[in-house]
Amino acid sequence: MTQNDQKVKNLKLTPQVLELNWGNVAERIKNFIRDYVEKADAEGIVLGISGGVDSSTVAAISALAIGGKRVLGLIMPEEETYNPKDVEDAKRVAEKFGIKTEIIDLSNILKAFYNAIPNFNEQDRVSKGNIKARTRMICIYYYANAQNRIVIGSSDKSETMMGYFTKWGDVAADISPLMDLYKTQVRKLALHIGVPKEIALKPSTPALWPNQTAEKELGMKYEILDLILYGLERFMSPQEIANQLNLPVKTVEEIKARWIANEHKRRMPLTVKIQYRTPGADFRLPRT
Amino acid sequence: MVNTLKIALAQISCKRADKVSNIEKMKAYAEKANKEGAKLVIFPELSLTDYLVRDLIYELAEPIPGPSVEKMTEIAKENQVYIVFGMPEVSQKAESVIYNTAVLVGPEGYIGKYRKMHLPTHSVFEEKRYFKQGYKTPVFETKIGRIGLMICYDVFFPEVSRALRLNGAQLIVCISASPAVRRKFFEILTAARAIENNVFLAYVNLVGIEEGLQFWGGSRIIGPNGSIIVKAKYHEEDFTVGEIDFKDIKHIAAFVPTIRDLRPELYEELKEASEKI
Repeated sequence: MTQNDQKVKNLKLTPQVLELNWGNVAERIKNFIRDYVEKADAEGIVLGISGGVDSSTVAAISALAIGGKRVLGLIMPEEETYNPKDVEDAKRVAEKFGIKTEIIDLSNILKAFYNAIPNFNEQDRVSKGNIKARTRMICIYYYANAQNRIVIGSSDKSETMMGYFTKWGDVAADISPLMDLYKTQVRKLALHIGVPKEIALKPSTPALWPNQTAEKELGMKYEILDLILYGLERFMSPQEIANQLNLPVKTVEEIKARWIANEHKRRMPLTVKIQYRTPGADFRLPRT
Repeated sequence: MVNTLKIALAQISCKRADKVSNIEKMKAYAEKANKEGAKLVIFPELSLTDYLVRDLIYELAEPIPGPSVEKMTEIAKENQVYIVFGMPEVSQKAESVIYNTAVLVGPEGYIGKYRKMHLPTHSVFEEKRYFKQGYKTPVFETKIGRIGLMICYDVFFPEVSRALRLNGAQLIVCISASPAVRRKFFEILTAARAIENNVFLAYVNLVGIEEGLQFWGGSRIIGPNGSIIVKAKYHEEDFTVGEIDFKDIKHIAAFVPTIRDLRPELYEELKEASEKI
């Protein structure tokens, strides 16, 4: 019996439950990317690279899958959140994996948005920040259309399940190869495939406003959050999870409420069932 | 009736909803099987249409016998091989009733079919949405041996292989479309079904990636003692030929005589208990 069997059987919420065979995971993700790009008859891949762990990992594994020359990483800084270290990290990963990069300074585009929107509220940092995420998406898709590239998303499972992303923004992609890996697992995968340690372990930020960090906003370390999410995924009750992790049950219940409430961000828009077969409901065609 | 049989495991990837391409591919592998002296060539579950075709199944399903079975029969005749393949079968009596079916054809023509009994409808699987379950476990007496068919998730239920064995099967052919996360289950269960029934089992799995599911391949022939006689590669298209000798059943069954030691009176209790879950 493997370690993996043990953990499923016992459901003990320790960091070991998040361990996977990283070589096997990397292989499967590479196959998935290669297969998708081939079937789409695409020239290559385009993605936004921020210098953070998720985009660095997906950029690296894309390069390992189809060759760095076919991967284009867009570095998209803007004045307000500009961090030279992030740009440097993004370039470092690109260089290591032979990925082409382009830098697009979003500052002027963003200012144009801010100026053009009547009653734009500078203080509403979420709405403003989401403009940034969606502007990055627009640029990425420009290259995808113009150069026949597949857009690869960097969303991980922790952020996806918490709804910690911008709808139609950073999550927008043709495929999201890391979406079934929790954040701490992405870090492990990153280390396994050779993403520099400093980048693999650095704190995550969506870079929507200055000094924003994911863990501060989510209210806990990913090491704890991932175990809560793992427990919820396996139908454990909040009480059981709280007992095992020595947390107040209210904390786990809050995470669970958020986990459920954000389903609207993970699905096709709902519509009204009017006709015979309905998109997003019972219109079920194969995705080729 | 011969004692030995060369079996070709044609572990292919299939083209989504493209019967013409898939038949072409199966034809090429049937020719290869013939050249290598195999008398039976096995393809994965729903190899005619590919596994994940969702609503397109309504356009793709055919009666059996029907046009595609005829084509496959021609291929069997031309190459003097028996062929097991999978296809969606539409009922000849009710137009929207579809089965997930394994078909056996041979040089003498269409021989028979098996309709999948256990339709996975959990996790990523949605087979009950589209298919009706089968009820029968026929065994086909052919020139190459007595063959029983089953499909993929059926292997989790010992009743199917047991019924096939009790109906006389010497070889159980299990065609499959199993994604990678389930590999260890199949590797254990295929061996278990062979051992507990003193029977040969040939398992042929799909390969390729469909909607994020990676079919793991790993097709194999297993002897009545659970030994792997031949095994195909993981995750990639492969073609492997293995030979079995039906005489082995006798001495293996004498060593662990599971069929002799069956206790049919337990089945009543099993039925009652399972109805009261």
